[in-house]
Amino acid sequence: MANLTVRSRVRRQLPTSPWLFAAPGLLVTGVFVLYPFVSTLVNSFTDRRTLIPGRFVGLANYRELLHDDMFWTGLRNSTLYVLGVVPALVILPLLLALLVQKNIPGITFFRSAFYTPVVASIVVVGLIWVWLLDERGLVNSLLEAVGAGRVGFLSDQWLLLLSAMAVTVWKGLGYYMIIYLAALANVPRELHEAAAVDGAGAVRRFVTVTVPAVRSTMVLVAALASVSAFKVFSEVYLMAGPAGGPAGEDTTLVMLVQRTGTGLTGRVGYASALSVVVFVVTVGLMLLVLRADRRDEA
Amino acid sequence: MRISRRTFAAVAAAALFLPLSACGSGDDGGGSTDASGKIEGDITFQTWNLRANFKPYFEGLVSGFEKKYPGTHVKWIDQPAEGYADKISADAAGGTLPDVVNVSPDLVAPLAKAGLALDLDKTAAKYKPEYLEGAWASHQIPGLSGTYAFPWYLNTGPMFYNKSLFKKAGLDPEQPPKTYDDLFTDALQMAQQSHGKVATLANVPTIEDFGRYGAELMNKEGTGFAFNDAKGVELLTKYKELYDAKALDPQALTATPESTGKKFLTQAVAMNPGSALDLGNFKKNAPGLYKNIGITDQITSTGHVNMYVMGVMVNSRTKHTAASVAFAHYVTDAENQMSFAKQVAIFPSTAGSLDDPYFTKEDGTDETRVRIAAAKSLKNAVNYTPVLFSEQMKTALRNEVAKALQGKESPKAALDNAVKASDQLLKQQG
Repeated sequence: MANLTVRSRVRRQLPTSPWLFAAPGLLVTGVFVLYPFVSTLVNSFTDRRTLIPGRFVGLANYRELLHDDMFWTGLRNSTLYVLGVVPALVILPLLLALLVQKNIPGITFFRSAFYTPVVASIVVVGLIWVWLLDERGLVNSLLEAVGAGRVGFLSDQWLLLLSAMAVTVWKGLGYYMIIYLAALANVPRELHEAAAVDGAGAVRRFVTVTVPAVRSTMVLVAALASVSAFKVFSEVYLMAGPAGGPAGEDTTLVMLVQRTGTGLTGRVGYASALSVVVFVVTVGLMLLVLRADRRDEA
Repeated sequence: MRISRRTFAAVAAAALFLPLSACGSGDDGGGSTDASGKIEGDITFQTWNLRANFKPYFEGLVSGFEKKYPGTHVKWIDQPAEGYADKISADAAGGTLPDVVNVSPDLVAPLAKAGLALDLDKTAAKYKPEYLEGAWASHQIPGLSGTYAFPWYLNTGPMFYNKSLFKKAGLDPEQPPKTYDDLFTDALQMAQQSHGKVATLANVPTIEDFGRYGAELMNKEGTGFAFNDAKGVELLTKYKELYDAKALDPQALTATPESTGKKFLTQAVAMNPGSALDLGNFKKNAPGLYKNIGITDQITSTGHVNMYVMGVMVNSRTKHTAASVAFAHYVTDAENQMSFAKQVAIFPSTAGSLDDPYFTKEDGTDETRVRIAAAKSLKNAVNYTPVLFSEQMKTALRNEVAKALQGKESPKAALDNAVKASDQLLKQQG
């Protein structure tokens, strides 16, 4: 009888149990993800400022975006960042992974060395690169020593953007290399051996065996790299300065969000509209990459 | 558990519209504007990056106040320099702004507009005669009546120059430039002689440079900016010449005060503004430079050098108005400012303090020479940066100046655009 009571109570509680188990996670997601997201969305339709409550202004912020030169500069730079960084972060870590995959003496040291930039603080990395690329830094001293003359890595808008891209690629290589190493471990050795027997050289084996085998990983890397490249902030902020390079020409969209929406006079409403655009483009990029993958599979 | 559609709709609506509640008119939370009550209660005092170097001074200050007014307790907190405005804005928006806050005039302006800074003309007018007139006025906001912070310490500084670089360029190291014309001529010669390798200046002109050159920064009513006048355009045109000749460092367009300081330290630029505080830095980190350091007055066309003002603001929503006002006054009174000035190269804003022998008597050292010269110039110095000139406006000006220097816009067009953008931002600030 007692057993029956317990069993029926358990049965009665079953429908609520999943919600109770999920509650902590849902609460955290609700407070730290959903609420800020909805808040940003709502704010984007107001003229709210940091200390002044806003009024509903409809699509005014979005209309203003279209006429804001700095928004287009930000969109251009963030897009260029994706175009410059993503191919490098898809291909180079794969080559690096192939290199360190081999079991040769001392290879562990190189694996660790390639991964070190990933764990280094971006601020430290940024400052080191600023010192290296300064007008009187190591790179320019070397260029001058070989008679090439100084290059304005940190004063020319395009070179600055390229330099920041180089830092992003350099810092991200190790991270994506680890992902590729895991994928490469699953590629059957027999496939390579069979291709080799058929007379395929190293390049041919790479194109016909390795790439197809890790294609889904490449898509994953492309998606991850696209999203983080479009949302780039630290590298450009550290190298180009808070103003975003000469005349703000290196400003990225996230830098613009930070510059517009923070501080005591921050335009929270307008910065929220910018954030919504960043969100939409980021989701669009993800969908684009995944769609391209599906089309290739078909 | 089944969630009914109605419940789901209610939750979704709450999630959607809850944020809007934050957009409603802010509840003022109700502090008193009457500072005449009994001085008691627990208050919080926030400083701006001062704990690392002056912890004993502030601990003494706090315990002195608590001893003077039994029944009070002051909790001292310090925030790092980086992101200080963001920290204040987060606290202000979240209703957690400390009772007494270390501010600069540009920080106090938005707080006063949002009704978060106590009007001292109403609550503490009796203390006004204790301070230099200009210092007291530095926390007054165009468009608002009242004064919103006690003036605290002032700072100004000379121009440092590298005598060795001057000599190498064929310039007289004992005759540094005294006027803008001299400065531009010397800078061009320096660039020519060093084949563009040594620049004289490393900063693009800021709003205070335009003010010091004689441009009108704002209209009389304080409702719009005016630095695109003939003087402003003239200054920017001169800077363009310097930039083209590499007399202005090529990295000036992306420079920060820290990076230009470093360039001067490494002898990559010949002149840099600074304060008496920098001498110790030169001595310690660049002995080679220190041996060749030259010190000259700030260059100005108006007869008034630029000064920086720090203030101490009282949160209008404090629950202990009397104690907060008393503490803010205590921190900034003549005795405590003088005591602080003897710890670090700053200058008191209290009337008569600058006549103290500490600021008038030479002892043969460079530090004292700089201190005395600065104290003398402070008596008629001006805080050129308009209190309403926000960070966003500074960025707008900087970007337009950069476009002019790069030749993408004429100096006139660049300044017109900067004024237009700043006016627009001013309007949006309300």
